[in-house]
Amino acid sequence: MDYKLVPSVCPYCGTGCGILYKVLNDRITGVLPLKSHPVNEGKLCIKGWNAHAYVHHPLRLKAPLLKTEGRFHKVSWDRAIRTTADRLGDIREKHGPDAIGVLVSAKITNEENFLAQKFARTALGTNNIDHCARL
Amino acid sequence: MRKTVQQWLEEGIVDLFLGYRAVEGHPIPWVFRKDALHELEAFREGPYRYPLEKLAVEILREDPRVRLGLLARSCTERAVTVLQALHALDRERLILLQEPCCPSPLHRGVVCSSLAGPENGSQKRRDGIPRGRPLEELETWEADERFSRWMHELEKCLKCYGCRDVCPVCFCDQCTLQDPELFETGSLPAEAPHFHLVRAVHMAGRCVDCGLCEEACPVDIPLRTLYRKVGALVRDLYGYVPGHEPVPLLWGPLGDGELERLVAGERSREMVWEAVRRCSG
Ligand code: SF4
Ligand code: SF4
Ligand code: SF4
Ligand code: SF4
Repeated sequence: MDYKLVPSVCPYCGTGCGILYKVLNDRITGVLPLKSHPVNEGKLCIKGWNAHAYVHHPLRLKAPLLKTEGRFHKVSWDRAIRTTADRLGDIREKHGPDAIGVLVSAKITNEENFLAQKFARTALGTNNIDHCARL
Repeated sequence: MRKTVQQWLEEGIVDLFLGYRAVEGHPIPWVFRKDALHELEAFREGPYRYPLEKLAVEILREDPRVRLGLLARSCTERAVTVLQALHALDRERLILLQEPCCPSPLHRGVVCSSLAGPENGSQKRRDGIPRGRPLEELETWEADERFSRWMHELEKCLKCYGCRDVCPVCFCDQCTLQDPELFETGSLPAEAPHFHLVRAVHMAGRCVDCGLCEEACPVDIPLRTLYRKVGALVRDLYGYVPGHEPVPLLWGPLGDGELERLVAGERSREMVWEAVRRCSG
């Protein structure tokens, strides 16, 4: 039997509370607050306490899905990215860059958020970018 | 202590040992094993407190043969006794390694996270229930003032369920605090004070006053004080102190003879269940 506690950071918001994943035989079974973490000092909100819930969830998306003819189909990342790029290009051409909006998330890192706004402003050419912490 | 753990593992007294180890600079609960004795280099002793008993229950349940050593403070020992009384763990397969505990002038060298709680802020002193004060002192307030002070605390609740999730003696499959007939899940403000009073009632005969709930509460509600009151009532009414004997608190359904037999150690699951059935009509 293998039982481990793995220090990590809560994936749910920008506060970045320290958590411990309880890992039993390679499956995450729960979360404890990381008591020595300077941000949360052993406390969590309800999201942090349940930060493991989606990991082994049967409905978790593990591959990109593409909707064709009203149904979702699993596709490769290459195909998903190509299709997205083509569609964004089409929309931009037909309706202008401001027809596109980009919503980013507290669940991704600062660096990823930075890249997303860079992409919105320079690649797409729109200032339509917003963050869930502001919505 | 590190030497003892090594000896226990090497001699096969236990298969696994649950203590603390420094990982990336954080002292965290760690399962030590014979085939990785080098991990004992980062074995840590200190004021750290996690619900080790709760992890022990999971480990013992996962492997019905494993013998587990457990680093035990006084509160850990009390919680283990309560868990044994409630048939939540197999006490035979658990070997406790006692740590110097609890804080007392007669007992030096004790380190415990609960000794270093945060200061009571001015608002808490003015409107709320200051932490770490004896019950008698808090009960000198008039009933109205006491109620408003408690409500000042309880209304802060975020319903994170952390008090329950961290508690070593909370392990019900279906928790009343999530019963949709009683409490709305996913809605705030919390149903104060009944949310807290329901949990307080459940802590009667269970709570071992470890204080982990209070340390985990993100809004600093003095939960330990609340459950101490419950503990005092149970002690005065039933003469029962959780964690002293591996016998559960039953609300009066046992006859004197049965009670004596229970306390004398002659207890069986059937006897307890018989009493519970009688109690629930
Ligand atoms: S535990 Fe709550 S407050 Fe902390 S990072 Fe996670 S979501 Fe944010
Ligand atoms: S003090 Fe809190 S965490 Fe500890 S046993 Fe009592 S209710 Fe549970
Ligand atoms: S709060 Fe009550 S119902 Fe919920 S886990 Fe604890 S003892 Fe069980
Ligand atoms: S830990 Fe505090 S905030 Fe969270 S549910 Fe319990 S009392 Fe409420």
